[in-house]
Amino acid sequence: MNPARPLVRLENLAVGYGQHVVLAGLDLALASGSFTALLGANGSGKSTLLKALAGILKPLAGQIRWAAPEARPVRLGYVPQRETLDSLFLLSGFEVALMGTFNRLRPGRIVRATERARVGECLRLTGAEGFAGRPFAQLSGGQKQRILIARALAVQPDLLLLDEPVAGVDPAHAQAIMDLLVRLHGDQGLSVILVTHDLPTVRRHIPEVLWLQGGRAVHGPASELLTPARIEDLLELSWS
Amino acid sequence: MDTLKDILSPDFLLRNSLYVSLLVGFACPLVGVFLVLRRLIFLGVALPQISSTGIAFALSMHVWYGHGDGGHGEEQTTLAFVGAIAFTVLAILWLALLEKRGRGLVEGRLGTAYVVATAISLLLLAKCPVAERGWLNLLKGEIIAISQGDLRLTGIAFAVVLAMLWLFHREFMLVSFDRDMALTLRRNVVLWDLLLFGLIGLTVAVAVLSVGPLIAFAFLLVPPLVARQWARNMRQFVLGASVVGGLSACVGFALAYRWDLPVGPTDVALLGSVYALTAGARRLVLAKSPTLPFRP
Repeated sequence: MNPARPLVRLENLAVGYGQHVVLAGLDLALASGSFTALLGANGSGKSTLLKALAGILKPLAGQIRWAAPEARPVRLGYVPQRETLDSLFLLSGFEVALMGTFNRLRPGRIVRATERARVGECLRLTGAEGFAGRPFAQLSGGQKQRILIARALAVQPDLLLLDEPVAGVDPAHAQAIMDLLVRLHGDQGLSVILVTHDLPTVRRHIPEVLWLQGGRAVHGPASELLTPARIEDLLELSWS
Repeated sequence: MDTLKDILSPDFLLRNSLYVSLLVGFACPLVGVFLVLRRLIFLGVALPQISSTGIAFALSMHVWYGHGDGGHGEEQTTLAFVGAIAFTVLAILWLALLEKRGRGLVEGRLGTAYVVATAISLLLLAKCPVAERGWLNLLKGEIIAISQGDLRLTGIAFAVVLAMLWLFHREFMLVSFDRDMALTLRRNVVLWDLLLFGLIGLTVAVAVLSVGPLIAFAFLLVPPLVARQWARNMRQFVLGASVVGGLSACVGFALAYRWDLPVGPTDVALLGSVYALTAGARRLVLAKSPTLPFRP
């Protein structure tokens, strides 16, 4: 995989809800195989940008241009905030993870044994095979997160998009989830973009940062952007 | 037991009413499960009422066109079916449009739709005594006079709904459980939502035309709520709701026949009792076995 080749290019992108523009004039490229943290204060547009990248929100202006490794539409593995999933649904962890295979199934077709085996492999990879048979609604925050990451991997994605994957998870499990993501990125060359508030975690694990502040974006290596002086600059940028 | 034998006999005079009652009992909970899962219980109240407004509109049309108060032939049944379907589908599209715009309270919209639909029905039928009597009987759940045509229509409509639910259950579950995930998989969620709500609308319209809004609402929502308490997975939830609905329809019909009661209110009172009893039993079970591996 060529790490310099852009996987996605944002061209004069504006995103928001209805008439409310959250981010505007974004121009940047994210390389294939990159691992990027989306940082910024509450309401800065992190989740909004992630949803636009995932195709959940349509851009208000500009374009998102994808370049999949092969001549096919890019495959996205999306990990939502787990609180958005309703506990009324009596689905096991395995059934939730199985949804990741639905992009390869035509409506009305049954899930083949090979796909089920693939989901089993994704659950093993995320360390979720031990509790995947239990009801999803009754799992802990960290366990749900592992199931949702397994579901995203079952898509066989070119890019993994995660919305605050370690928020509300105890430190030990949060560390395990970050280790898992670093491993997936390192071993499989998977491109990853994740939204987080956790600067120490980013410093430890994530090489690139996209900092959103005041409707603008600053993109660069974590080692450069997360120095005390640069953070002060970035915050003043928003106050000014 | 003798009553059950009587009503299940092929020569039973009201067999069409029993069959329609059973079809509604088994089929309505299958779509009602989605109303419960998507937390759209108020939609389950409003839709049957809107559907019955469609029937009132169809039954009263000839009066508004100056043809006097007519009788109830096959032609009027067809008209009533078209009215029920048209009003239900239009209401679903209208509510979906408002939902997409995201303005106002969902509960407020549905509550308003319910009372306005009832008022419009009464106004439409004010000058049409015969149609009004028929409509009020429908409202009370009087299901004595079910023709062979009504039975056939109900059977065909529910067979279509059942086939579509079975064929596309995975898509309906995905867009209901995680709409965002469906979008990232490039599924056309608007199309799948429209298909699901179209099936709900068809079921509601046919059920209201056959048994009235009271029974339709009860069978849409109470059996899923009963089954949800005990089910461990989606299959048990869906099949359990359908079985609870079908059995309640059968027992309710037998009780109504035995004691000469109107079928609709008997069915609904029975469903309410089943819900209360199962909820009480569930509490007892949980109190005695707090460490159950799966807490329903």
